Amino acid sequence: MADSAAEARIDQALVARVLLADDRRAFEQLMRRHQGMVRAQLRRLLHGDHAMADDLAQETFLLAWRKLDQFRGDARFSTWLYRIAYSCFLQACRKQSPSANDTDSDTLERLSATAQPVDLQLDLERAMQRLSTAEQTVLLHCIQMGLSHEEAAYVLAMPLGTVKTHALRGKAKLKTWLAPWQAAPDKEQTP
Amino acid sequence: MNHPDDDTIDALLRKQFEGPVADDGFCERLMQRLPPRRRRIAWPLWAGVAAGIAACGLSLVAMPWLPAGWHDLAGGEFSASAIALLAVVAGMSLLACWWTLAEADDR
Repeated sequence: MADSAAEARIDQALVARVLLADDRRAFEQLMRRHQGMVRAQLRRLLHGDHAMADDLAQETFLLAWRKLDQFRGDARFSTWLYRIAYSCFLQACRKQSPSANDTDSDTLERLSATAQPVDLQLDLERAMQRLSTAEQTVLLHCIQMGLSHEEAAYVLAMPLGTVKTHALRGKAKLKTWLAPWQAAPDKEQTP
Repeated sequence: MNHPDDDTIDALLRKQFEGPVADDGFCERLMQRLPPRRRRIAWPLWAGVAAGIAACGLSLVAMPWLPAGWHDLAGGEFSASAIALLAVVAGMSLLACWWTLAEADDR
């Protein structure tokens, strides 16, 4: 907690240096501190499309550079960046054809056809793909990226209650789908 | 059939997340593309606000009911012009509140 407060203070100081002294090096430091998680967020949202994720990450930081004076410090700087990245992702999805965004039906066929789980992580990956887009997105931000429900609501521009509902439903579905692993824990570790 | 508990699911999901991506020249490439910062020029906004206030003041001073309403209000009399004056002030306050809230919402 203290660490995250210290990190937030460093970010605030760097933002102030950019705004007051037009310090590009300070922005570079901000970028170096946060590019890893922003790109990881986008890679997850784009189901592993690294090239597209990096394009959107570039767009995110260019937007952050242009709109930095709108950052008021109400949220953490990282959360503000995730929000910009998520809106870039949504815009990119809108530009693409709607069918391109849906989960491939063949993939789902293969998922449901898997009778015997072979590897827990693989099954988890498949189970995640079976969740609705909103559930996947909420679980990504709340659990995998470690944001609070409030922060996830800010990033995803969703009501707090909706975020909590998606998180609960998503986890409940994962529990159901991964239940065979609990029944046979000895099979869990495969080389 | 036992279901895995919340902590197990959380741990599995965290394990599945690859974590921060290595820089690999990303920042350097982006720094080369960074445009010069545009300085926001403040004077047109403030000139507009001043002109608006001046125009509003001039148009209100020309109204005969304004001094009459002010006079009535000072005398504690709620005449039609005094009520009109109060309504104008209340309306402008509400507009200012709405504008402030809208600006705060955008940020």
